[in-house]
Amino acid sequence: MGFLTPWFFAGLLGIGLPIWLHLLRKHRSTPTPFSSLMFFEQHIQSSIKHRRLRYLILFALRTLLIILVVLAFAQPYVQQRVLPLTRTGEITVVAVDNSLSMRAGGRLDQARRAASSLIGGLHPGERGQVLAFGSRVQVMSEITDDHSTLNAGINSIEPSDARTSYAELARSLRSISQATHLPLEVHLYSDMQQTGMPTNFNDLRLDAGVKLQIHPIESKAQPNFAVENVVAPRRVYDSKNTRVLATIAGFDNQKATRRVTLSLNGRMVETKTADVPESGRASVEFLSLDVPYGLNRGEVRIDSGDSLPDDDTFFFSVERAEPRHALFVHDSQNPEALLYLNAALVSSGQSAFVIDSVTTDQTANLAPSKYAFIVLSDVGSLPPGFENQVREYVRAGGSMLITLGKNAVAHNRVPVVDLKTQGVAYAGRESERFLSAISLDTSHPSIQKDNRWDDVKFYQAIRVTPAGGRVAASLSDGTPLLIDQQIGEGHVLVFASTLDNIANDFPKHYSFVPFIEQTARYLGHLNEGPPSVAVGSFAELRDSKQKGAAVDVVDPKGKRVLSLEEATKAQNIQFTEGGFYEIRRPNAPNELVAVNADRRESDLTPVPQETLSLWQNTAEGSSAAGGAVEGQQRPLSVWWYVMIVVLALAVAESLVGNRYLSVDKEAA
Amino acid sequence: MLQRFLDPATLAAISGLDLVAKTVVDGFVAGLHRSPDFGFSQEFAEYRAYSEGDDLRHVDWNVFARTDRCFLKRYRGETNTQALVLLDTSASMSYGSHSVTKLDFARFLAASLCYMGNLQRDAMGLIVFDEDVANYIPPSTRQGQIFRLLHAIEKAEPGTRTDFAKPFFHFQNFLHRRGLVIVLSDFYEDPEKIIKTVEPLRFKGNEVVLFHILDPQEIAPKFREPVLLVDMEQPTASLEVSPEYARRDYKRKIDAHIEALSSQARSHGLDYFLMNTGRPLDEGLREYLFIRQGRM
Repeated sequence: MGFLTPWFFAGLLGIGLPIWLHLLRKHRSTPTPFSSLMFFEQHIQSSIKHRRLRYLILFALRTLLIILVVLAFAQPYVQQRVLPLTRTGEITVVAVDNSLSMRAGGRLDQARRAASSLIGGLHPGERGQVLAFGSRVQVMSEITDDHSTLNAGINSIEPSDARTSYAELARSLRSISQATHLPLEVHLYSDMQQTGMPTNFNDLRLDAGVKLQIHPIESKAQPNFAVENVVAPRRVYDSKNTRVLATIAGFDNQKATRRVTLSLNGRMVETKTADVPESGRASVEFLSLDVPYGLNRGEVRIDSGDSLPDDDTFFFSVERAEPRHALFVHDSQNPEALLYLNAALVSSGQSAFVIDSVTTDQTANLAPSKYAFIVLSDVGSLPPGFENQVREYVRAGGSMLITLGKNAVAHNRVPVVDLKTQGVAYAGRESERFLSAISLDTSHPSIQKDNRWDDVKFYQAIRVTPAGGRVAASLSDGTPLLIDQQIGEGHVLVFASTLDNIANDFPKHYSFVPFIEQTARYLGHLNEGPPSVAVGSFAELRDSKQKGAAVDVVDPKGKRVLSLEEATKAQNIQFTEGGFYEIRRPNAPNELVAVNADRRESDLTPVPQETLSLWQNTAEGSSAAGGAVEGQQRPLSVWWYVMIVVLALAVAESLVGNRYLSVDKEAA
Repeated sequence: MLQRFLDPATLAAISGLDLVAKTVVDGFVAGLHRSPDFGFSQEFAEYRAYSEGDDLRHVDWNVFARTDRCFLKRYRGETNTQALVLLDTSASMSYGSHSVTKLDFARFLAASLCYMGNLQRDAMGLIVFDEDVANYIPPSTRQGQIFRLLHAIEKAEPGTRTDFAKPFFHFQNFLHRRGLVIVLSDFYEDPEKIIKTVEPLRFKGNEVVLFHILDPQEIAPKFREPVLLVDMEQPTASLEVSPEYARRDYKRKIDAHIEALSSQARSHGLDYFLMNTGRPLDEGLREYLFIRQGRM
């Protein structure tokens, strides 16, 4: 027994009051005259002792009353053993991990057998539910007392390529608990991978009514090798410079040598060996990859010989395409810009674009729609017919880059976009020697890759009113340097200086190449994704313009993922297994997506027991992992029992006191 | 029979003792006036042989003529009695557990007796005493005697302690004729001593009546808690008394005292009557007169 607020025992000093009233206070008898004392005797004299005896019950009641009131305020409690038995309406939830790691060594079969055994041990009428979880939670059966349904749910759990997410399981358990308002006894069958734990432990919290029983399938870490990553271009335009870099990872392994094979479209291209250090990584580089035109399926495979072969292959897709043409229109007197532009595109590695250079006089018979994008290099003005064609081209979704120089000043306007020039910003000797780009919008695709423009010196810039366009970069005097103007469906980038080495020294800086490369990709809509994505990733199937168009998705097994209705309505799709997904869109080239299981699943290191205990303790109804179901010592406050006794004592004190009081009145 | 039980408290509200006595006595005089033997007087007729020295005026000569022997004859109408009321005014008589003290009650009783005697033309006298004689009104049938008596009774104030020996010895000298002696007191003394003191009055041919006046609280005390009692005749003496003792031992003692006084009084030819001040005065007085009448 203990007390929550023991300092209230100071109130026991109040016992002094009845003690003083009954025992210490001198009874002052009022002398009563009597006719004669001849019949009274001295030795029969009344005593205080007699009076004490008479009021002993009242004194005891009052003292006990004060003691109990103080006791109640001190909030006494007793340690009560709470037996976690007979939780009314409890639901047994069986959660089976079917992530990629459960494929190792028949772990999933073990888990299913253990879960079936548990279901077989349920009493008739006990309700249960079966869940399978990886990165998502799948409800394999409804809450039912039909144990055959539960067994069927367990048997229908299939291995998946998803990664383990215990946080997702905890979230689902919280949802079930809040929806049913019933206690849950959760039996978790998993290999308890460390990598499945969330970074924030709070995500694992369980509701008070959830009791978690963990049944680890494997308690020891096992060595495992995996192709962790492959770096390859998504799209190639020639086979000369194509290289593939593979990373081989070992988990809890001894130092070993593994053979690494590069295959393309099922045909082995090259084989190398990798020396994988103890619990480390090794890189293997394939320098030549002869990629045929079209969509190609690449694989990097190792002969691991471990218990988890599903992470020994890494898929990647690569597309061989012809470079696209871009139109470069320039003034005949200024050819340097073309030189620097070409040099930058070539320096970027894969040259996705071929620049077709023309002067303004040669634009008469050109069709802008044939080009990926158009560059107007300080042209001043265009022939009206061509300008109209370019404007229509932009409105239809085309893109162009306009650089401004002395010719733009002369014509006082920017062609195509019809922006007015307001003058020239010069850096003369009398003031600043040059201007700098001090304000860069790093979210703009042209600047996103490299924004180190600090050392670039701009000597001349044309002041242009943005007129609603997005200013992606500004000079130190406030002159807009790069304006992204949207016209119709297309974009026009206005660079307020030139690409030669006269109005600025930008072409001589290292940030010029990424700027040109990113700008070309942005303008040419060359949006290259990664060569592969992880299982569980989503892909967008259509944009707003393609509403109603059927999109066909074929999974790695060659089956159509979407039904006919889904094919016309689905906005996106989630890749649920490793391999190649083929997405066929109308009026767009087909897309081949390589999907790989999350390589965090390759690390089979289990969660420490301490962490599991902590997780179980997040729910009040949980008991220690693996421990027997024992009662818990919990404090049970008994102050209100004491208050009931106090109430009874108060009534008794009133009755007894009133009786004495009435006697006194009568005697008086 | 008309009976009026007069509460002593009611009598106390009447200002004058004459009115009190009239109120008490008129009631039962009116109811008992047909009785031939009413009154305290010794209406006694006798013939007795002449002895030397007797007054020849009382010789019945008719009897002498028939019998040749001298007899003295006494007529009833010639025998008016003399009554003396002894009123104890000691300090203990001032005790009262209610609105009427024992002294008040004794005064009402004395006044009533004097009034009644006066109606019968008895010679009524009064002696007020405590440890000494405080006042003395000689018995007389003179005009205005009743007013002197009532005035003396009204003037009686509580004195000191009771001492029967000294005042009784003193007023034995005042009694020259045989008569009725009425003692009103609480008799807080040893019964033997009281009887021994009073008995000589009886020897002189007096009829002695003892009215033992006690408060109800003295007869049966009711204390609910211990009380500190102070002796009214000895203020320095005090005792803390428990209710249990008062209920048991004291009651036993006072009852024994009353019984002893009563029995010894009767054994010595004295009339004894206990007057409880809690009872109506006329009720007690009537009861006494009935007892006395029956005995006579």
